[in-house]
Amino acid sequence: MTTHDTAGSTLINRWQRGVPVYREPLFTPAFLFFGAIAAVGLTISVVRFFSPLGPFSGMSDAYAWGVWKTFNVMTLTALGSGPLALGMAAWVFDRRKLHVVMRTALVSGFLSYATGLIALGFDVGRPWNFYSVMMPWRWNAHSAMLEVAVCMPLYCSVFLAFENVPLVIERFYHTGGERTRKLLRRVSPFLRRIFPIMITGSYVLPLMHQSSLGGLLLLAGAKIHPLWQSPALPFLYVIAACVAGSGFVTCLLLIACLRYSRRLDIDVLGELCSLLSWLCILFLAVRCVDLVWRGQLAAAFAFDKASLLFLLETALILVPAVALRRRSARETPRTVLNMSAVACAGAMLYRFIPTTIMFDPGPMKSYFPALPEVLMTLGYIALGAMGFIFALKYFAVLPAERSEWNCEFGGMRRGTGK
Amino acid sequence: MSGRITRRQALLGAAGLAAAGAAAGPAEGMEHPAHPEAPPDAVGLLYDNTICTGCKACMPACSEANGLPADTSGSGGLWHMPTDLNSRTKNIIKVYEDPHGGGFAFVKRQCMHCLDPACVTGCPFEALVKGEKGAVTWKASLCIGCRYCEVACPFDVPKFEWDRWNPKIVKCELCYEQRLTKGLQPACTEVCPTGAVIFGKRSDLLATAKARVAASPGKYFEDRVYGEREAGGTQALYLSSVPFESIGLPALDSISIGHYATEVTSVLYKWLAGPIVLAGILGLRIKRNWDRHEAEEHEPEDGPGLPENL
Repeated sequence: MTTHDTAGSTLINRWQRGVPVYREPLFTPAFLFFGAIAAVGLTISVVRFFSPLGPFSGMSDAYAWGVWKTFNVMTLTALGSGPLALGMAAWVFDRRKLHVVMRTALVSGFLSYATGLIALGFDVGRPWNFYSVMMPWRWNAHSAMLEVAVCMPLYCSVFLAFENVPLVIERFYHTGGERTRKLLRRVSPFLRRIFPIMITGSYVLPLMHQSSLGGLLLLAGAKIHPLWQSPALPFLYVIAACVAGSGFVTCLLLIACLRYSRRLDIDVLGELCSLLSWLCILFLAVRCVDLVWRGQLAAAFAFDKASLLFLLETALILVPAVALRRRSARETPRTVLNMSAVACAGAMLYRFIPTTIMFDPGPMKSYFPALPEVLMTLGYIALGAMGFIFALKYFAVLPAERSEWNCEFGGMRRGTGK
Repeated sequence: MSGRITRRQALLGAAGLAAAGAAAGPAEGMEHPAHPEAPPDAVGLLYDNTICTGCKACMPACSEANGLPADTSGSGGLWHMPTDLNSRTKNIIKVYEDPHGGGFAFVKRQCMHCLDPACVTGCPFEALVKGEKGAVTWKASLCIGCRYCEVACPFDVPKFEWDRWNPKIVKCELCYEQRLTKGLQPACTEVCPTGAVIFGKRSDLLATAKARVAASPGKYFEDRVYGEREAGGTQALYLSSVPFESIGLPALDSISIGHYATEVTSVLYKWLAGPIVLAGILGLRIKRNWDRHEAEEHEPEDGPGLPENL
């Protein structure tokens, strides 16, 4: 059996190729651990579907949004914005070294969105009316919630899924019989033809809905502390998504490479770090201008609860921004791992604080997630983790090293790689 | 590849994206001005807490007109005794006691029927609408239960039935279905024995309120009507002898919240122009880089990918 293909290529994107993790059983203790958490979460979810929301959450009329929306959706899809941040850098700004890590971003991004949408499905009180999303005459064009409701499922199920299709095709091409191969050879040229259009969509859509997630908070007005409530929220939400997304991919990539003893080209890592640090700098610059513009600098350094949270969040983004400017830091995997995790934490904090911690609907009101609520949230996260481990072993996700890889990067032949 | 095809393909991509949202693009003339005008047929409530005796006759009248069960959780199952607006209470009389022994004051809380309601602006599928006479009403068949209305409302009015499998959003609708359409006034104003809360056209009520303030200067807090400008103006108006904030009416900007939230996006998303332009720009760059990718196509397909020993 030969993998040489004479009748046409099934490779959609040759800059993006990876290698799966072989000879590792799928059912490792870690996988079963995540499986147990996911099973608990999903079981409770099923019960929740046939029961009112009240007993399953700590939400109230004052805090009408709990962790399913504020953490699983508004915070964790920021981590899943790697396909946006890295994809834009790779395809729009032509940073070609980043193509090899795109698959890590695409798989983790897809799982983050998919699990977020599952959480959303169990969060809404009247999901049976959601079919209105396909009836544009029912849409309220002024609503940021509409934008999110239309864009997020569309992005995840069409555009992000499309970007993940090459992985599946490769797998079936190599494991399938002659008929499968023939079919795939027939389908692939079509996919190649629509590829540029589809990836354009998969950058425009998340730019829209990641900003709309911030836009949602504008209507909450004075309930959100002025350090966060700002007309710049939608813009900052997108940048924070890019910071968290690129940071998460870097972090995840290093963890996966450590876990499965894979080597990683140091200049690819350097490119990721450079992107991450510039995104952090952009975030801080916009945040700073916004605070000065709205005259909130005094509040930022008042050293009360809001100010301390702001300083923590800012420090978590500032430290990697500065540290990763140094070439020696970018070439030390340990530093890169730590700094990317710190940047993720900072960006996630920025996304989470205005939705819950500094969301004040009035005196005597408080919110803390109930146990079933937490278990469901953890269940969805565990489900995503299981999906990622599965993908690593069944699909060619992790980047191939250049030494074992005969496809050339244009203009990068001089590098030797490791 | 020629530049023309590149551009055409990029535009095609943009058009594909636009198709889904095109129907939503044209805003139906319903903008969100900073200071909205009241609709000419706008009706409303005027509540004056110097007249209210706290008899609470309006509360059972409201429950009866709206078919709401009694909230007996606070009274040991004996009588309707809610502590605040909730999913069984669309209207409530609350009392404020001055901590320094300066007497007490009542307040009647229900939906304010804002001129530009934040809940209506946020509602994704128009389950909440500001309809005829400016009443803000809710439609079960369109609501997905996202509870954005609760997050958006600055007066904490919409309530969600947390204890129901088929939850509804519960809020005062000015008795629109039940009474306004039959030419009757809302239940609360009809039963009020002292005239503390009265019903009428918003313009008339505002004039009445201002006349009361003018007749006795210093009687009312800040000599002004709450709701004339708050959050862009509301159709429920208040006169109070004590500070509005102490009876639970928040200090709000005179700019409509809907205006603040959609000021930028309504321009960017008009006819989906922003996303389409963005798709065009990104599409051109992506097509250029994709063409470079395609130029490298001639190499054989034998990179690592999935090996044969799978």
